[in-house]
Amino acid sequence: MKKTSMKMGVVALAVVAVAAIVSLNVTARAPSLKVATTSSLYDTGLWEYLELMFEEKYGVELDILCVGTGIALEYGKRGDVDAVVIHDKAREEQFVAEGYGVGRVPFAYNYFLIVGPPDDPAGIKGLGPEEAFKKLMEEGAENPQQIKFVSRGDESGTHAREKAIWKAAGFNYTAVQESSWAKAEEMGYIEAGRGMGPTLLMASEMNAYTLTDIGTFLAYKGKLDLVPLVEEGQILLNVYSVIAVSPEKHPDTKIEMASSLIDFLTSSEIQELIREYGVKDYGMPLFTPCAGAEPEQ
Amino acid sequence: MTEIWDGLIKAIELIISLDPEVMEIAGRSLRISGTACLLASLICLPLGSLIHFHQFRGKRVLINIIQALFSLPSVIIGLFVFVLFSRAGPLGELGILFTPIAMIIGQMILITPILLGLTISALSGVAKEIVDTATSLGASDFQITLLVLREARYAVVAAVILGFGRAISEVGCALMVGGNLKGFTRVMTTAISLETSKGELELSLALGIILLLLALIVNIALYRLQQR
Amino acid sequence: MSLIELVGLSHRYGSREVLKGLNLSIGKGEVFAVIGPTGAGKTTLLRIIDLLEVPSAGEVYFDGKRVPGSRKQRLEIRRRMSFVHQKPQVFNLSVYDNVACGLRWRGEEKHRIAEKVDLILKMVGLEGYKNRNARTLSGGEAQRVALARSLVLEPEVLLLDEPTANLDPVSSAKIEQVISYVARQHNTTMIMSTHDMSQGRQLADRIGVLIDGRLVQTGNADDIFYSPKNEEVANFVGVENVLEGVIITNSDGIVTVKIGPHRIGIQAVSNYPAGKEVYACIRPEDITLAPIFHRSSARNYFQGKVTRVTTLGPLSRVEIDCGFRLVALVTKISAEELNLQEGKEVCATFKATGVHIIERGVNQ
Repeated sequence: MKKTSMKMGVVALAVVAVAAIVSLNVTARAPSLKVATTSSLYDTGLWEYLELMFEEKYGVELDILCVGTGIALEYGKRGDVDAVVIHDKAREEQFVAEGYGVGRVPFAYNYFLIVGPPDDPAGIKGLGPEEAFKKLMEEGAENPQQIKFVSRGDESGTHAREKAIWKAAGFNYTAVQESSWAKAEEMGYIEAGRGMGPTLLMASEMNAYTLTDIGTFLAYKGKLDLVPLVEEGQILLNVYSVIAVSPEKHPDTKIEMASSLIDFLTSSEIQELIREYGVKDYGMPLFTPCAGAEPEQ
Repeated sequence: MTEIWDGLIKAIELIISLDPEVMEIAGRSLRISGTACLLASLICLPLGSLIHFHQFRGKRVLINIIQALFSLPSVIIGLFVFVLFSRAGPLGELGILFTPIAMIIGQMILITPILLGLTISALSGVAKEIVDTATSLGASDFQITLLVLREARYAVVAAVILGFGRAISEVGCALMVGGNLKGFTRVMTTAISLETSKGELELSLALGIILLLLALIVNIALYRLQQR
Repeated sequence: MSLIELVGLSHRYGSREVLKGLNLSIGKGEVFAVIGPTGAGKTTLLRIIDLLEVPSAGEVYFDGKRVPGSRKQRLEIRRRMSFVHQKPQVFNLSVYDNVACGLRWRGEEKHRIAEKVDLILKMVGLEGYKNRNARTLSGGEAQRVALARSLVLEPEVLLLDEPTANLDPVSSAKIEQVISYVARQHNTTMIMSTHDMSQGRQLADRIGVLIDGRLVQTGNADDIFYSPKNEEVANFVGVENVLEGVIITNSDGIVTVKIGPHRIGIQAVSNYPAGKEVYACIRPEDITLAPIFHRSSARNYFQGKVTRVTTLGPLSRVEIDCGFRLVALVTKISAEELNLQEGKEVCATFKATGVHIIERGVNQ
């Protein structure tokens, strides 16, 4: 109650607060490289696998922000991250062209898959991706209870690719969103607004089709009651690239560290690790390395 | 049902084995939310007293606004703090986005209305006669404030506990301004959110149970402290 | 020299006028009791003296100086006083901490506080309660804590608002004993409010009767007790028989007052001339009852019927109809001896000097 003991109490509390903040390792931490990456890549576990190696080799903290391609690019534009690792060629090129990114470096690729319930009620197995989408739309409009499709609906790279396939199949994307399939009471076409993993889990729960990258699908396969139905087609190619954020727009970004990350990802040693990644757990590789060059189909 | 059961077993396993990663995340949650709650309390208790003991125009409106802000969603605060501390934002120079500092600031903003509002209502619960009696016994304004805070200590501690509970349980702001960086800004809630998105439901449930235990321990500790 | 002086003091809460142009001067070391019915403004008066409230109009002087407006200066003066509020508000702390509060707030040294608190707790008979939470005490004990909390400050002025209201007789007696001890030993100036006439009479040097926001009469206990200035004061100080009448004769200070519809005559001592409209006030304890009419030195004797008997502890209150309503107070024993009950014929007797005459229409 006395002023002195009161002051001491306040000082003690302040000391506790400072100690807590210090213990949170804010200042004593090694310099950190912040990378925004697409969830489809993060969910495969590849980053956790590579993170320690990078940190040891370069003596920096690697902070991975797992977000959709859309928000990853937004972080890059605002200078909140030093590099982005995503998979949407068109938007990546635009990002570089607008001066936010230094250069686009592809380092690995795999394929998108159309997956769905094992009994394949729409009968799309073995079709090309465009034909499969066309058929889903036709069957779905007639029978939205049985034929469902879960879209990422989050402006991610995968979502962008889905839109591209719809376009190639002859549908304007807004037409898809407005179709009787999507507007039906039972909601045949659903926009999840979630990352790749949750979207797959949702599709599995609902006996629905969805478009996924092969890496996430394999990583989640044990938890899913879904099978790959369409695996081939030029439009399904999924290239991951890394882009260093340009220091011209945001001088505080760490271009040197970002360059180190690019060197690291395209180094033969890591390329080899990427090639082998997943073989042990899934019986097949999740990625094909491509060391800086655009893969040719 | 089996998932909940498995989650419970997993939680017990993680606690008994003192799983280092879980312990680290739990400790970080505790430190970030505890610091946020502590700093917010150091601001809000005096400020709340100031509002309570002074008559001014618009006081009622101010209190209404404070109470309305109780229900401010944490993602909105997350968004606000993000825009504030983003490199392109007004305080971008500080470079504290995606650090625990930003999370502490976000959580402080989140719980400030609760702490302020509940401090004011706690003080309002103290009889006016107590203030009169203290005044008569020669207490200065500052001494009266301290006494009334002490009289209202149960309600004030309840406010602090509620504030801490809201801070440690929120996910929107932590995810947005902390970024869920492994080993740096990953806390219980963002870890739960990540594990759920990975489909690791048992692990998520287990983390949820540990979060609950953590809150329980803090509750008990604070109640003990107040009874002294 | 007066320590506290109130000049033209008025106070209103909203549109309600609580104090109306009050003047009062209280000397150093004086024990002053404010008596009056509930709602008369006693508490407000004490609050203004303790500088808890700023009066709507009028001045307060403390120790010869006008009380300043700044909070700091008012606090300094307030620290020379101490106020025991009516409902004891103990803090939710130990008894010791409750009593020590005021000393701590004044920055007293720790060991001095301990000495003083121990001493005062002994004085109010609570030495064994030091570590008890004050909220767990009974009403009487809490009031003693409240009193100790004020006394420990050794104030120059002690303000007490109804210090024994709603207390058990034991606690009341203890508190009255402590108050009179402090008044004697420390020459503390005290201002207390009470609605208990006998308490005021017992403890105070001087009494002020506050009715409806006006200080109607001040004086020593006997002045007020036996010579109430008007009907209100008379009613309040326990004169139950206030009879409306007109003086019809005055011979050498002995007047005859005609009372009631039957114009019954009462003899009294007064200087008012014939024709004056007055109240005749008779204290019920000044009336003697006898079973049959018998002459005595008393000038007034009336035959009447008992209409009601109520027992008040050792006393009996007897209502008699003798052409007008008369209330007498006799001991329970004599009530039994006289076999007083409803319908019984008795003779009521009182002296002319036992009748106090008040002019009518002067209470404003």
